[in-house]
Amino acid sequence: MVMTAAEAQTTAGASRTVTNPLNAVARWLTAADHTRIGVSLVVGAALWLVIATIIGAVLGLERFDSTAALVDAGALTQLFSLHRFALVFGVAAPLMLGLSVWVVPAQIHASNLSLPRFAALGWWAWLAGSLTVLVSYLANGGPGGGAQQYVELYLLGLGVVFVGLVALSIAIATTVLTRRNGQRLADIPLGAFSALIGAIGIALTLPVALGTIVYVWVDYVNARVAFGGAGFINTWLAWTTREPQTLLYVVPTLGILLDAAGRTARLAPSRQPLRGVALLGVGIAATVIMSSVTQQAHVFALGDTPFATLQSFVPFALFSLLPLLAPLVVILMSLLALKAGKPSVSGAFIASLFGVGMLFTGLVGSAAMHLDALGLVGTVFGEAALVYVVYGAVLAALGAVALHIGSLTGRALPDSPVILLALTGFLATVLASLPHYVAGLLDQPATAASGFDDAGFVGLANIAVALGHALMLLVVVAFGGLVAKSRRGAPVNDRYQAQVPG
Amino acid sequence: MTAPALNAGPIRRTSTVFVASAFVAAALATLMGGMLAIWLDFRANAPTRVAEDGTSIIKDWLKKDVAIPEVASNTMMFTFVIACVMAQWAVYAARRNDKSHTTLALAITMFTGLALLNAQVALWLQMDIALRTDAYETMFFAVTGTMFAIIVSAMVYSLVAMFRVLAGRTSDVDVLAGHALYWYAVSGIFAVLWLVVYVQK
Repeated sequence: MVMTAAEAQTTAGASRTVTNPLNAVARWLTAADHTRIGVSLVVGAALWLVIATIIGAVLGLERFDSTAALVDAGALTQLFSLHRFALVFGVAAPLMLGLSVWVVPAQIHASNLSLPRFAALGWWAWLAGSLTVLVSYLANGGPGGGAQQYVELYLLGLGVVFVGLVALSIAIATTVLTRRNGQRLADIPLGAFSALIGAIGIALTLPVALGTIVYVWVDYVNARVAFGGAGFINTWLAWTTREPQTLLYVVPTLGILLDAAGRTARLAPSRQPLRGVALLGVGIAATVIMSSVTQQAHVFALGDTPFATLQSFVPFALFSLLPLLAPLVVILMSLLALKAGKPSVSGAFIASLFGVGMLFTGLVGSAAMHLDALGLVGTVFGEAALVYVVYGAVLAALGAVALHIGSLTGRALPDSPVILLALTGFLATVLASLPHYVAGLLDQPATAASGFDDAGFVGLANIAVALGHALMLLVVVAFGGLVAKSRRGAPVNDRYQAQVPG
Repeated sequence: MTAPALNAGPIRRTSTVFVASAFVAAALATLMGGMLAIWLDFRANAPTRVAEDGTSIIKDWLKKDVAIPEVASNTMMFTFVIACVMAQWAVYAARRNDKSHTTLALAITMFTGLALLNAQVALWLQMDIALRTDAYETMFFAVTGTMFAIIVSAMVYSLVAMFRVLAGRTSDVDVLAGHALYWYAVSGIFAVLWLVVYVQK
């Protein structure tokens, strides 16, 4: 075979690049393109998901028998707190932002993010901050921790995580607002629109938590007269890992489902039926969620008079029931899209549909938490709602990866294994959450492994929850294996490729 | 005969730096807004006790012997106005391709920031309070320290903008508009802080 000089040069250059691992590491360390940053975030979130599922399984086993102790009692408070951190700031927020960073520029026909280095700063800040938080927990820091310097390290790490997430959000929002290449905002794909809405929500709410960290840190290292010691950190910052704030992090799941439906039905974004309704649904829901973040919890309680009941119901309905409309509208719109096009079975669609369904169930739980008559505050019901929301986001993310991986590797994921994993992920989510909904109704306390009756259903519920988390771990590992195999395997026809811009 | 169609004009792209500056400014506003909300909450819920004379109620918030230097804080407020005027002057001069005036305006903006930091340090020294005794002191240092950091960030923005102009990028009006917007936002944030912390106390 005769090779031209140019071909030889190209081949030699390519082999140098491929064979030199230092080059690869250097390229990754200095990467400022949206694909590398986005994929790095997704992989980082997947690693945190492994940690979160293991902790979830351990906590489930720990609560199976309230008299036995797998974990040292002194470390339980930190383990519960680390579980929440892992689910929210290790998985949900970076996963959704990572997918947005990866996908949004291509969706709006931009070559890269508007602020690529700023986004890279966000990714590195998140990575460094989340590792710092993990180290601080391992060294007896974190909320309720006994080692002063590691409690301070925890606050520092948490602050850096917030800075990273805000930087990523600003990069995404600025990209959508400034790099549409002449497209109207109303014409961009719904995935990009929901990424914009979610990013604005994070950019405007997490700085409040950052200010609170400043107060707590200054007080902690000095007088400890205003904000309490390590045991009170969660009193001030727990809102960042509870609904409705957590719902802001996962707003992009709505866009993922709408994109998956459109692409499965082979519809151009502009041909999405009732597109305006979908835009309005996502926008209004996010606005309501964001405004409810700024409010105290509006609990619905029956009053002495009908007017008093109404006074209690209206804010509850506005801030807790109205957000329920968003996933419902989005599911309806996605089904309409399928009806309008020529759909076939699609792993991306099924995974994201399950994801939004789980999100809806989490929202229902969040609303139920605000019903005074049920008395669910302080029970495991809240933990279950969070797991529904986060694992719902994970399922939607599986759908997003299946949808867009063709643009990264040139190879599509086969639909059958994705559907199988989506079904298993759905089962894992239900197992990891639903039993705690019931246990919450039976008054099993949150963040406690003893002091409750573990006989009967409650004990079984905790075992089921442990199994659910373990199953989700298997799903994540299997999906990672599927992606790795698809990169090495023969090219599979990408059924979504025709719709990928550029 | 039909008239030939006009060519489409170039796509007008919104300035990235301007929009990003607006987002960062909004994020800083919510940061300080949250801190001041907690401040107001603590102040409203500060414990009260009956005075020694038995005729009045004392709120344990700002100690009687701690005086806030109003001259320094008011001077800071007015200095922010100057900073905003200078930042806007930089935009005005850049639109006219006037490199020397643009550079001068940015340099003055930056040194105005330095004056603000000086005033803040002077204010801390004059108050002579330590971070050891009560909630007010903790929160005062936290909130004013955060404002100090925000002013530093605005100065860094001025410095970068100035170097860009000195390096010949005088036509980057969008960057200077973003810089001016940032200073407006920082001034607005300080105005609220000034009212809550220094005036209402």
